[in-house]
Amino acid sequence: MNTRPTVSIDHISKTFGEFTAVSDLSLAVYPGRVFGLLGPNGAGKTTTIRMIVNITAPDSGRIEMFGQQITPELQDRIGYLPEERGLYKKMKVGDQLKFFAALKNVEAKVADKRVDSWLTRLKLSEWKSKKATELSKGMQQKVQFISAIIHEPELLILDEPFSGLDPVNVEVLKEIILELKADGKTIIFSTHQMEVAEKICDDICLIDRSRKVLEGSIREVKRAFSRNAVALRLVGGDSILEDRALVTKVLRHSDGVEVLLAENVSPQELLKELIAHGAMIERFEMIEPSLHDIFIEKVTENV
Amino acid sequence: MKKLFAIIKREYLQRVRTKFFVIMTVLGPLMLVVFTVVPGLLLGVKTSDTRIAVVDQTEGTKLSGPVRNSLLKRESDDENDNEPNLADAANSNTKGRMEKAGKSLNGSFKVEQVNPGQRSLEEIKHELNARIGRGDLDGYLVIPPDILSNSDSKTFYYGRNVGDVITRGQIEDRLNSAVRRERLIQQGVKDEEVDALSKPVDVATYPINEKGEEGAEDSGAGFAMVFIIAFLIYITVLLYGQVVLGAIVEEKETRIAEILFSSVRPFQIMFGKLIGVSLMALTQLLIWGAAFAAIALYVVPTMAARGFEDINLPHLPPFFFVYFFLFFALGYFIYATIYVLVGSMVTNTQEGGQMAMPVVFMLMAGLYMAFPVIRAPNSSFAFWVSLVPFFSPITMMVRIISQTPPFWQIATALVIGFVTVVLLLWLAARIYRIGMLMYGKRATIPEVVRWVKQS
Repeated sequence: MNTRPTVSIDHISKTFGEFTAVSDLSLAVYPGRVFGLLGPNGAGKTTTIRMIVNITAPDSGRIEMFGQQITPELQDRIGYLPEERGLYKKMKVGDQLKFFAALKNVEAKVADKRVDSWLTRLKLSEWKSKKATELSKGMQQKVQFISAIIHEPELLILDEPFSGLDPVNVEVLKEIILELKADGKTIIFSTHQMEVAEKICDDICLIDRSRKVLEGSIREVKRAFSRNAVALRLVGGDSILEDRALVTKVLRHSDGVEVLLAENVSPQELLKELIAHGAMIERFEMIEPSLHDIFIEKVTENV
Repeated sequence: MKKLFAIIKREYLQRVRTKFFVIMTVLGPLMLVVFTVVPGLLLGVKTSDTRIAVVDQTEGTKLSGPVRNSLLKRESDDENDNEPNLADAANSNTKGRMEKAGKSLNGSFKVEQVNPGQRSLEEIKHELNARIGRGDLDGYLVIPPDILSNSDSKTFYYGRNVGDVITRGQIEDRLNSAVRRERLIQQGVKDEEVDALSKPVDVATYPINEKGEEGAEDSGAGFAMVFIIAFLIYITVLLYGQVVLGAIVEEKETRIAEILFSSVRPFQIMFGKLIGVSLMALTQLLIWGAAFAAIALYVVPTMAARGFEDINLPHLPPFFFVYFFLFFALGYFIYATIYVLVGSMVTNTQEGGQMAMPVVFMLMAGLYMAFPVIRAPNSSFAFWVSLVPFFSPITMMVRIISQTPPFWQIATALVIGFVTVVLLLWLAARIYRIGMLMYGKRATIPEVVRWVKQS
């Protein structure tokens, strides 16, 4: 990654009175990639994002965007969908979107066209002249999403974009996000839902209680956390699983077991032993740690 | 600037398009008419003549005639009764109709003389009471025998509906003038001289300005003007203050603030909303003003045609209108920015309404201060009170109308007021920036103080 980062954050801190929201955080987000800002509730994700979009300023440290110190003018090149979001209740959907476009300095004519094409794409065209209160929550979410991308931002920041959406619409939005990424846009994606992050993000940064605890590409992170673990579904062979020289830990699920092998034992050896003892094997799979597991591990080890 | 304009435009159009705005705009003048004219109309409505009997106990019943004449006297000769005129002015537009109205009032009493003859007062009263009970009579007067010689003697009125204070007042007034007249005649005053002697003194009032120049005759309308203006400021602030509050809280209630803050500087949003609402208020006031002017153009000539020349607007110099505009705008913006400030701290409109109560009290205090100020416009109390920014729009205006203070005082009040608006806006902006992003609970005062200090 030799290209210039879209956003680079250099040792920023932010406190509110006694409470430290972000402490000494540094990270870099590169163009054409989806960057996952992950962490439990209250970790400091929203505060970090607010500093990136220039709603609040860090107490110390420096944020650069598109190679410049952040200024109000740069805000027009950013699209932001905050976690706390809403619409004007009594205002027509089309008018709202045009208003949000005007606030990003999009010309009225251009905005008109884009509003129509996005509403069509998200199957909302017949709601254009309806008031926001007449829309279902899911539809409102989609309108809010459009408002964040109507000005074709180079950097798109999404804070929990899928909360409250049904699976069909989640897929629709995901598709759009991946298209934007293919277009070379930079996307910062904040969530505490690891399953979603795992599917979309290229790079992640995990923060917990105001500090960065982990960062890197999904591949690197998973490799670093790979454990000697196997998922099994089998009949018999219980004695092998009880052998602590081979297996250090057994987790039983409804759909089989997950075992953690002793350090010097390879999966092949386990397989050999099981077959030798006449176990019927239905499933045998080496497992990578999920982002969820890594998240839980990192967050709980800090306590 | 483009963004600020977009915010003002949205705020204005959204508000002007609401049903509430349209209904208020139409109902406003209608309510004005209802509240000012209808009570007068209702008081003036007399369903039927009051049938009244006069029991005259004086020697030779010599008061019966004069009392009767006095009671039957034409309404318009009466100097003290204005209520029915007000009603007529509103519902009649031609001279003919007015005369008709006058005639109907002429017969508002039916008087019957009761000759005591040989019967005792008890007997007469008994009979009259029975008639009132049956509904044949509305009331009767008992005039004591010594009424002309004893100024402490008491006349009695008995009636079914003694709650009708207007009729009671009329009876009292007319009885008075009849008795006064008879007493004077008894003292040797000639009949034709009585009217001239009992005519009230006509005092014409002229103002003198600080240069010692005499002004035009003052009909007292300036005094009324003071209260109309003070009340206008009061009503405007009450009416639109709430709207400003609602507008400021809107982005917080709907959770749009954060989206907006990522595009526009908070101050621009806050300021844009204030201007948008103010333009809406101005639009409504202009419509009302035009409607009021139209009504005035219609009513004033009809009043004048009825002999109400005094109803003409007091002669106010042009500078007065400039001051009125300046202080009206100042008063509006001082209180509007206070509402902005309150709106930034609270989480919803209801909470804001409670928090805004002290603001309303402050405004009322300003209104009440108009009374002592108009009585002594040059007192040190009036001086200081007209410099305090929260009161000056009303109190300084009162001073300007009643006894125009030196220019430097007016200018000082304006400057203090303007600086206050700027300070309040600055303070509100600092609170708004942070308050808008705090969801859930209302900010405590220490929190707000911390926000203000945060840069």
